[in-house]
Amino acid sequence: MRRLFPIVMTALTMAVTMAGPTIAADPTLSLPTYTPAYEPRTVDERGLWMEADEEERLLRDSPLRIREGKLEQYVRDVLCREVGAERCQSVRVYVMEVPEFNASMLPNGCMRVLTGLLLRARSEAELASVLGHEFGHFELRHGLTGFKAERRTKDRTAWLAILGAMSRTDITDTRISLLASFYRFTRDQEAAADQMGLRYMATSGYPARTAAEVWRQAMAEQDASEIGHGRTPRHSYVSGYFDTHPTNLNRAMALEAAAARMPGGGEARADEYRAAIAPYLPRLLAAQIKTYDVGATDFILASLAAQSGWTGELLFARAELYRARGNPRDLQMASIWFRDARAAGYAAPELDRDLGLTLLRNGQADEARKALNAYLAARPDASDATMIQTLVATEQ
Amino acid sequence: MNIPRSPALLALAALAATPALSNMLVPPGPRTGIANSRLSATPASEWNRLSHTDGKFTEVWTIDGDQLDKVTFFGGVARGKALLREVDRKHHPLPTVKASMLITDIPVLLETTYRIRGARQMTIDTQEPAMLGGHKAIRFTYHFTLDDEVRRKGEGLGALVDGKLYLVTYEAPALHFFDKDVARYRALAASITL
Amino acid sequence: MGQFRIVRGAVAFAALLVCAPLAAQEKTGIKPGFALRPGTARIVLMRPTILVGAQSIGGVNEPNADWTRQARENIALALRQAQANVGNAMVEYDEGASGEGPLATEYAQLFGALADSVIEYQFFAGNRLPTKKRNDSFEWSIGADLGKLRSLAAADYALFITTRDDYGSAGRKVLQMVAAMGGVGLKSGDHTGYAGLVDLRTGELVWLNADRQMGGDVRTAEGASKRVSQLLEGFPGKSSAAVNGAP
Repeated sequence: MRRLFPIVMTALTMAVTMAGPTIAADPTLSLPTYTPAYEPRTVDERGLWMEADEEERLLRDSPLRIREGKLEQYVRDVLCREVGAERCQSVRVYVMEVPEFNASMLPNGCMRVLTGLLLRARSEAELASVLGHEFGHFELRHGLTGFKAERRTKDRTAWLAILGAMSRTDITDTRISLLASFYRFTRDQEAAADQMGLRYMATSGYPARTAAEVWRQAMAEQDASEIGHGRTPRHSYVSGYFDTHPTNLNRAMALEAAAARMPGGGEARADEYRAAIAPYLPRLLAAQIKTYDVGATDFILASLAAQSGWTGELLFARAELYRARGNPRDLQMASIWFRDARAAGYAAPELDRDLGLTLLRNGQADEARKALNAYLAARPDASDATMIQTLVATEQ
Repeated sequence: MNIPRSPALLALAALAATPALSNMLVPPGPRTGIANSRLSATPASEWNRLSHTDGKFTEVWTIDGDQLDKVTFFGGVARGKALLREVDRKHHPLPTVKASMLITDIPVLLETTYRIRGARQMTIDTQEPAMLGGHKAIRFTYHFTLDDEVRRKGEGLGALVDGKLYLVTYEAPALHFFDKDVARYRALAASITL
Repeated sequence: MGQFRIVRGAVAFAALLVCAPLAAQEKTGIKPGFALRPGTARIVLMRPTILVGAQSIGGVNEPNADWTRQARENIALALRQAQANVGNAMVEYDEGASGEGPLATEYAQLFGALADSVIEYQFFAGNRLPTKKRNDSFEWSIGADLGKLRSLAAADYALFITTRDDYGSAGRKVLQMVAAMGGVGLKSGDHTGYAGLVDLRTGELVWLNADRQMGGDVRTAEGASKRVSQLLEGFPGKSSAAVNGAP
């Protein structure tokens, strides 16, 4: 699974059929007929729901779940504002502390949102565009049609393998074309869910054009990550044979074109979003910094700073990011940003410790000792105090 | 997308996945050349050495199996090398040992490595000065969660000697298992010489 | 030449669908000398993982809610009967108002790790840990803290059960027959499970039974009862004194 192809569904929701609904070309705002308290109907569907119920139980009890505060409630409120209170009744939201840009929805209405998505979204509208896409999969019952198509593909492939072996016939081409149509179908489902998400946006008042911006942003982050890893970024317009998702560029263009035919929409609610996420931001930032993806992380920090300015919190995170990579130039920039963070009002004494350690690595022992001593003075009982004391005493 | 075509390649892949050696008994008493390095130790009680490792600098010991308790020796990881075997070097390269590393960067290196390899909520809890085989070292504790969603606790003792990283860690589920054998691990770690 | 390679490739692919041969392996472990406490032992059945489905032609697992519900009911009933026969009381786990749900789930996950370890490092001869080889020793524990859960108060033992059944569909069976004509062995259906008993006073795993080829159709009452007797194979009995002393 590629990190920057977000909204990858789990195996349970994985989709496929060669004859699924295609609504990509329909620019209207009509939504599917809503069925309150929908219950699964067929043997296959009831089976998938049962499996989803089991998985939801594990999510509910997971140690990764963020139970503190009202974060899950807030995310659900955004979804409800988008799809309407009635549709929303069928959804439970679980926020999991995983620093990846992803969300998924099980066929039974269980929605799993990763904190990496919350860190990257810059407004309720951006969050809603991803949630609405997932809800689109759910409402279109993609889990079920996808399951059926996967089964059909594998059934045919199994017969091909056995009969091909017995008749000494080369089946490679037939297998590839079967698999290719399977993956083409999953891409069609993604496109269908994109378009459905757009209609929820447009009918709810969140600006529909935001959805395309999310993908543009994802592409830019991907570029930044590639450059950070020393590679040349490239995006293809056409998906490969075996991609489960359309390319980000492809998606962005389709969404832009469709949104242009829809009402402009209202508020993206960026301020409300920032206020709701603020209490969790240090935690989300800390997890992202430790992904060691300097390019992508720096991009995310810069895009947050484009909204709020370089706050002490963001500067501190940036300093920590470069300190972790630890090249000489990184250490130099990190010590500058630590000091900028202090000047911007970041008050925690840990800043002095990390600044001191950075300076020490950079050979600036006198300044380092000053900073480390400031930390020890503020946190004499810290769990690493004796370790830092030893460093102060021995490192020259 | 990888379509298997060659039976010979498949057979090779199967061979590579099969442990070449079986798990070995580590009896009490002195033991040298741990993790193919200068690391020596004198366990006071029996351990099992697993036939598989997490990379060429490592050796894994256990009492009940590595899901339940796991001691990893990192024997002299050199500059520019990662702690563990690289799984996806292109997209998720692991951090490496650096010349400018301080002793306090050892837990940071472990934390980053684990997070990239899929550990969730990996956090360093405490750090304190210590000795490892007569060298200045750091002792630290941490916790993390793996795919099985069992919370695990860990403890490590590491040092930088002649530019190389020597580290021994102990990890086990927070429920029951960590406390069960942590004393045995500590005695083992205290017996290490370099 | 080209043709030959292709056919071998196709066979290799088919081989991926075939079950791996079962390696020599033990199925049951019991703590030496262990016997259930005299009198009526109170056994709590932890929320079992029971999943029943079909296997499509191509081996895709098709979860089946009706079969699973039937199996859950049948197995619970068969377990209660089997235990009543030896004079024990079996109750199903209920977290009640304890708020211990997440902790109970973590213990269930931990038990999975424990069972995996026993299977991999003791039952499976090729991978056995040297310290687990001796004199029929069976030394495994999940910890005495499990017994301190408020939701397990008054219980003597906790029974953990996992079963996973995939019944070969009609199409899978046809494919299996055709494949057999071509000399390719293909597995139809998959039936695995394990059951383990923890002494809540000590936290010790006193018995574990794991099988990769289980019999008994859990969708029916008789089948479930057969499955349960297979799951409970080697289940520790009462000490003879206790049996004699029982009314």
